[in-house]
Amino acid sequence: MSERTLRIPALRLGIGSGRVGLILGLVLMAAFLALGLSPLLLDLPPPEKMNLLARLAPPSPEHPLGADHLGRDVLSRLIAAVPVSLGAALVTMTAILVISLPWGIVAALAGGRVDMVMMRLADIVMAFPTLVLALAVIGFMGASLEASIIGVAAAWWPSNARLVRALVLSASQRDFVHAARLGGASRMRVVLRHILPQVLPPLAVIISLETASVLLALSALSFLGIGVQPPTPEWGAMLNEARPFFAQAPHMLLAPGLAVTLAVLAFNLVGEGLRELLDKREPYLW
Amino acid sequence: MLRFFLIRLAAAIPPLLGMSFVAFAIVALAPGDPVMMELRAMGIVPEPEDIAALQAQFGLDKPFLPRYFDWLMRAVRFDFGTSVATGRSVMSEIAIHLPATLALAVSALVGAVVISLALGAFAVAGNRVTGVGLRGLTILLVSVPSFWLALLLIHVFVLNLGWTRLVGDGSLPDLVLPALTLSLGAGAGLGRVVYERVRAEKSEDHVRLAIAKGLDPLRIMLTHIAPRILGPLATAWANTFGALLGGAVIVESIFGWPGLGQLILQAIAQRDFPVIQAYLVFMGLIFFATSLIADIIVILADPQLRRRLGHE
Repeated sequence: MSERTLRIPALRLGIGSGRVGLILGLVLMAAFLALGLSPLLLDLPPPEKMNLLARLAPPSPEHPLGADHLGRDVLSRLIAAVPVSLGAALVTMTAILVISLPWGIVAALAGGRVDMVMMRLADIVMAFPTLVLALAVIGFMGASLEASIIGVAAAWWPSNARLVRALVLSASQRDFVHAARLGGASRMRVVLRHILPQVLPPLAVIISLETASVLLALSALSFLGIGVQPPTPEWGAMLNEARPFFAQAPHMLLAPGLAVTLAVLAFNLVGEGLRELLDKREPYLW
Repeated sequence: MLRFFLIRLAAAIPPLLGMSFVAFAIVALAPGDPVMMELRAMGIVPEPEDIAALQAQFGLDKPFLPRYFDWLMRAVRFDFGTSVATGRSVMSEIAIHLPATLALAVSALVGAVVISLALGAFAVAGNRVTGVGLRGLTILLVSVPSFWLALLLIHVFVLNLGWTRLVGDGSLPDLVLPALTLSLGAGAGLGRVVYERVRAEKSEDHVRLAIAKGLDPLRIMLTHIAPRILGPLATAWANTFGALLGGAVIVESIFGWPGLGQLILQAIAQRDFPVIQAYLVFMGLIFFATSLIADIIVILADPQLRRRLGHE
């Protein structure tokens, strides 16, 4: 490690860009949380309430974001979609972790033939393009929110398991882990007290970035009409419903698309910000 | 060298078998009896003996594994049966739609590679401010869903500027907007990979030595860093191509591009299992071949691996 001291660190101008991104991402996440909770405080029309007189109405004091093709209030639908869109992404991410964490940890620690078989199995699933596999699973289950969650989880877990395995493998080769093992610590204790704490920070980066891509995939599936089914409000599904009224009512397109973008951006910013905080390398300058 | 390629191809057989098994198992385990569904679709109230006869005709009375081998034997001859929805052979449906999807995915990949190299070069060459700006731009582009980007591009270029039309006939000019939609997001993602790899290489000692020797930055970039990042980039390109094959479905549905996306969405709506199965197999095969090519590039780009290969 002695050569590290020779490196010339780049000038840090105040707080790094990564930290700004991290804070911005956290603020966005908090904003979505507040938006999701806002029906408790605000007096909004119910998201399913139709008012055919207000069909395709542009933004007005009565409908701040306008109304859709059935005269439903876009703002209240947008807010009602927060728990659906974000909830689906979080459920999917949990499902992915429930499979990939044990898979990666066991493969890394067992080593040898067990490791090889487990990784080959993961490779087979990974050999399909992720969205293609998700589409196939949905095709056989029939289009629904549950099917799209299962499809995305089934397609996304192997790459996650691979990353977990790589992290655990490098963590378990540290000297103090060997020392703990030689000191007679049980296998469980080594994993929980010595390996997992090392793995958690990089894992947080991965989880945040993966949640962003899962959110994108799920809303894309809803947009294609094979995820969340109408009349349930969901951002992708709202965009899909807005497609025929593209030229007449552009306001129907703006809000849901912006909502997906900002939500994905929040997770990407947090992931990237965390990665930058953890990254200790400094490039040489010329 | 030839021996290496043969070994590499032989090593591809187990995963291919595994993939075919996955594709078969998803259908075999899918809820609903295909015979009953087809009879119901034809409006026939079936007698039990009719069902048994039909099941025997399609080989559905056999156990799981023999059915898999029957299916595999037909699949290697590209015989995936007939589409339930159209009654035509699945293979002819795929043959009609596959070229359009491949054209879209390949042109999007080319666009993404060009965009990523430009973004990466700007980020590396620029100062701190441009670097931060480019990083912000790439994060934003990666976060914009392709379906929304497509709608925005249509709004600007078709409705407002009138530069191109929306309902095309599958000719080359109609490819520009869909390919651009796909390549913006993918290019931003790849640009980050380029930037990350260059940054990682710049932290290496051999680059420090080159700087100390007084080589000019462009030369260090081209002779010290570029060869080292080619392998990882090839892998990233292959992965991006897989993502583009899947992402093509979304863009095709918006732009009305006559590719496999239209076919698969129709098949999902009509529960046309043979078509879905063939789609899964073909996309898997194409992605698999792409990854194989990337693996070979990784080896050819690494002098140490190449030398070891020569000695074998």
